[in-house]
Amino acid sequence: MTLKLCVLTPNRIIWDSEVTEIILSTNSGQIGVLPNHASIATAVDIGILRIRLNDQRVTMALMGGFARIGNNEITILVNDGERGSDIDPQEAQRTLEIAEANLSKAEGKRQVIEANLALRRARTRVEAVNAIS
Amino acid sequence: MSCANLTMWVSSSKPSLSDPNPLSSRSAITPFRLPSPPSSVPNRASPTQIQCGLRELRVRIDSVKNTQKITEAMKLVAAAKVRRAQEAVVNARPFSETLVEVLYNINEQLQTDDIDVPLTKVRPVKKVALVVVTGDRGLCGGFNNAILKKAESRIAELKQLGLEYTIISVGKKGNTYFLRRPYIPVDRFLEGGTLPTTKEAQAIADDVFSLFVSEEVDKVELLYTKFVSLVKSDPVIHTLLPLSPKGEVCDINGVCVDAAEDELFRLTTKEGKLTVERDTVRTPTPQFSAILQFEQDPVQILDALLPLYLNSQLLRALQESLASELAARMSAMSNATDNAMELKKNLSIAYNRQRQAKITGEILEIVAGAEALT
Repeated sequence: MTLKLCVLTPNRIIWDSEVTEIILSTNSGQIGVLPNHASIATAVDIGILRIRLNDQRVTMALMGGFARIGNNEITILVNDGERGSDIDPQEAQRTLEIAEANLSKAEGKRQVIEANLALRRARTRVEAVNAIS
Repeated sequence: MSCANLTMWVSSSKPSLSDPNPLSSRSAITPFRLPSPPSSVPNRASPTQIQCGLRELRVRIDSVKNTQKITEAMKLVAAAKVRRAQEAVVNARPFSETLVEVLYNINEQLQTDDIDVPLTKVRPVKKVALVVVTGDRGLCGGFNNAILKKAESRIAELKQLGLEYTIISVGKKGNTYFLRRPYIPVDRFLEGGTLPTTKEAQAIADDVFSLFVSEEVDKVELLYTKFVSLVKSDPVIHTLLPLSPKGEVCDINGVCVDAAEDELFRLTTKEGKLTVERDTVRTPTPQFSAILQFEQDPVQILDALLPLYLNSQLLRALQESLASELAARMSAMSNATDNAMELKKNLSIAYNRQRQAKITGEILEIVAGAEALT
């Protein structure tokens, strides 16, 4: 019994195949999805998506979006996403440091909102790289 | 033309070289300069006479030839890029289709609820942000001018209404334009990039989002060039925020939507000429499981969906703008090539005529000289 997973970004399809299990970061915490899950719709937070395909594990950084689960089909719509294996660890780490520095410098409501978003994105990417091991 | 005085020099120096019979040589060379009957005979429609010496003409012909090669190459490059732009639209389709489907379903379920999402909040408008999408490069006819003119007229309108405004400029051409006009308040300069991706759309969306959520502005308008066909593109104004959760998707009454009609343009060749086919694909909105549960509050889900929608709209605008730019460049360059060809033709006619005149003059001189000797 498998699930059909489809991860879509405005640019391209980043995942479209069968999987056995996924763990998804939603706005209200992580949920694990196994076959025959009840049909739900949920908002996806900026966070990592763990995919299990038999014994293989893949991690993906998702930049916020929406997921629909039903009939053993999962459709995830996200702004942007990257596979952990495609991310350059050093580059991700640098981006994280820059984002942290920007947040400490941010003034005013607006800059704080922006800096926080950037920081969360950067942190997710670093997590996605590190989660592989 | 600018080399008219050079001609004077060339033709006046000529007689001094061959002084035996100045009268004949002068009469042979001058027809191109004096408005005497033979010079007005050429049946060229161009009002400006080509008045250059032989050497200058040769140089000009060469330079026009080079220009023609460049413009022709640019035209072909633009045509190839239109194809790429079209592929980008195709790649974005699965996403936008699913998004519309989901929005439709959720909207249907939320119709009765009173929802309050920050991105849809309609406030009394005091300040408006204008996102102006221009190209990165020139040489594309009136493309950049048209959109900037639209922006200027919108600014004037807002001023008249006594509203404040700020600009978010996307694309190098717009950036230089607004940099040269410091009296126009610009919030941020962004660059478009060669092929719009989510990164660019995200950068704009972040900016717009924070401006709107922090209540610095109460309305965001997007000014971009809508791609109609290869020869026609319209600068349009599109209200980006506040998003209307009811208007953007088909509601129960079947009132329409902009997102569900996914327009796709396709570059094809018809009888050897490039044409554009636009087909409108109406996304079917199938009923998916009616017993769908919401993991979070519907409000939260809409909150997650609307930024996605915002992004995909921005991306679409960027893609349309790029396609229009390329199409504009294509037609501008094709015109330039045609003009260069015509100019080249005229120049070579003038060149040949002048060369013939010179040869005739020389023969006359020799004959006259020989005659004088006998």
